[in-house]
Amino acid sequence: MDSIIPQLIVNSIIAGSIYSLVALGFNLIFGTTKFFNLTHGVIAAIGGYTVFLLGKKLGIDIYLAIFIAIIVCGFVGWLTEVFLYRPLRNKKASAMVLLVASLGLFTAMQAVIAIFFTSQFQTLSNNFGSTKIYEFFGGIITEVQLYILIASFVIMIGLALMMKFTKFGKAIKAVSDNEDVAKIVGINTNKIVGKVFFIGSAIAGVAGIAIGFDTGIEPTMGMNLLLKGVIAAIVGGVGNVYGGFIGAFFLAFVENFGIWKISGEWKDAIAFLVLILFLIFRPGGILNKK
Amino acid sequence: MEYLIHLAILISIWSILAISLNLIVGYTGLISITHAAFFGMGAYATAILDTVYNINFFLSLFIGIIITAVISLVFGLILSRFKGDYYAIASFGFNIIVFSIFLNWQELTRGPLGIPGIGRPVIDVGFFDFVFKSNLNFLILVAVATFLIYLIAQFIANSSFGRVLKAIREDEKTIQVFGYKTGFYKLLIFIISASMASVAGSFFASYITFIDPSTFALSESIFIMAIIILGGLANNKGAFLGTVFLILLPEVLRFVGFPTDVAAQMRQVVYGLLLVWLMMYRPQGLVGEYKL
Repeated sequence: MDSIIPQLIVNSIIAGSIYSLVALGFNLIFGTTKFFNLTHGVIAAIGGYTVFLLGKKLGIDIYLAIFIAIIVCGFVGWLTEVFLYRPLRNKKASAMVLLVASLGLFTAMQAVIAIFFTSQFQTLSNNFGSTKIYEFFGGIITEVQLYILIASFVIMIGLALMMKFTKFGKAIKAVSDNEDVAKIVGINTNKIVGKVFFIGSAIAGVAGIAIGFDTGIEPTMGMNLLLKGVIAAIVGGVGNVYGGFIGAFFLAFVENFGIWKISGEWKDAIAFLVLILFLIFRPGGILNKK
Repeated sequence: MEYLIHLAILISIWSILAISLNLIVGYTGLISITHAAFFGMGAYATAILDTVYNINFFLSLFIGIIITAVISLVFGLILSRFKGDYYAIASFGFNIIVFSIFLNWQELTRGPLGIPGIGRPVIDVGFFDFVFKSNLNFLILVAVATFLIYLIAQFIANSSFGRVLKAIREDEKTIQVFGYKTGFYKLLIFIISASMASVAGSFFASYITFIDPSTFALSESIFIMAIIILGGLANNKGAFLGTVFLILLPEVLRFVGFPTDVAAQMRQVVYGLLLVWLMMYRPQGLVGEYKL
C-alpha cells in the first residue's frame, strides 16, 4: 500500500502557498496600519468572482480576465483605504473601531456578492489548464496547483526583493516603524499606505483566484481564507512579511497532518487550536521573540 | 397575529443574546465575537436532552447553563490573557472550534442534519401540568425570561461589580493599582454572559423545534455584535432597541418586495454598512454610553 505521507506533504505545500499569499497581503497592510483588516478576505472572493464573471460568463480570454481581476482587487482595496480607513485614522479611531468597521464592510460586500452571484458553490476550472497531473515524490499535483505554487513563490520572492531593495520598500518599513516620524522626514504616508493596500489586496485577489481554480468559489470563501491568513500571520509574526510565509506553511502542515487520522472536517478547528496555543505560549509568533 | 407573535418571540430571544453580550462588550470593553457558540451550547443541550433523554425543558435549560458556564470558564481563562484586537481574533477562534464540533461530532449532534422534533416546555408537578404549546403562551414565557435577564443585567450594571467592569473598560491598569483582580472580574462577567446566551439557546431550540449548526456560525456572533453596536454599547435598553431594529429589518425588506433569500442577504448588506457608518460617525450607537 502506498504511503499517504507524500500526498499530505504535497497538499500542505499547496495550502501553504495559498495561505501565505493571504498572509503576505494581510501582514503588509497590518504592518503599516496596525489594525486587523478583515475586509482583506472578501477581496480574495472578489478576485475569484471577477474571473468568474469575465472569463466564464463574458468569455474574455482567461489570462486577461485574471489580470483584470487582480487589478480590480487592488483597486477595491485601495478604495477601502481611501474612503474608509484613512478618514477613520485621521479621526484617531482605535484599532478596535477599524476592526469593527472592516467587519461591517466585509459582511456587506460578502452579501452583495451573494446577491449577484447566488450563494452556490461554483468552479472556475473547466476552461483553464488541462487536467494533466504530475507525480511529485509519490504525491499527485494537478497542473493548476503547479501554477498556483509557482505564482505564489514568484510573488513572495518579488515582494521580499521589493521590500529589501527599493525605495518604496524602505518607505513601507519607515511607515511601519513609526508613521509620525516617517511623515516628518518627508514621506507621503497616505500615498504609501494607499499603495500598500493596492498591492496587498491584489495579492489577496491572486489567492482568491487560486482557490477558485483549485476547488471553487462561494461568497463565504473570504472569511475562511482570511482567518487562515490571519492565523498564519499571527503564528509567523504579525506585521513581518517573512513571518506570514513561515506561518502559512507551518499552519498548512499542521492542518493537513492533523487530519491524517481523523476526518478532514476538523481542519478549521485544528487551525484555530494552533492559533490559540500560539497566542498563549508565543504571542509574538515564530519570528518575533516577545 | 401569529406572525407578530413569532416576531416578538424572536425579538425576545435575540434580546437575551444582545443584553448578555453587552455585558462583555459594552460594559467591560472586550470585543468578544463568540456569542453564537454559547447560544448554540444552550440550544444543543436542550435539543439533545429533550429528544434523546426526554428531560424536561426547564431542567435542560438549567443543565445547559451549567455546561456553558463550565466551558466558558475555560474560554474565559484563556481569553483573559488577551487585549484589544487579539481578544477579538482569539474569540473568533472559539466560535469556529465550537461550530466545528457542532458540525462534526455527529454521534452527539447529528452534524449538518440537525436535530428535529424538539419539544415545547412542559410544567408537570403532578396535580398541575401545562404545555407551552401555543406561540402566545411561549411568548409569555420567553418574555418573562427576557425581562428577568434584563433585570439581572441592569442590576449588574448598577452594582459595584458593574462599576469595576466599567473601570476595567476605561483604564484597566489604574483599577489594578487599586487592588482589584481584574482577571477575576473579566472571567466572571464572561461566564455570566455566556450562561445567559445559553438560556437564549434553550428557548430557541424549543421554539423552532429544529436546530442545525448553521444558526451558530461566526456570522451569527457578528450579527449579535452588530445589534449591540447599533443599539448602543453599555446600555441595556439600547441592546433591546438594536434587536428590534435588526430583527424586523429583513421582514421589512421582504414586505417591500424582496424575495426571501435576497432579503436575508440585504439584511447583511444593511447591517454591515450600518456598522461602517456607525464607526465613522457615531461609534456609540443609538443610545450608547461607550465609544469603542
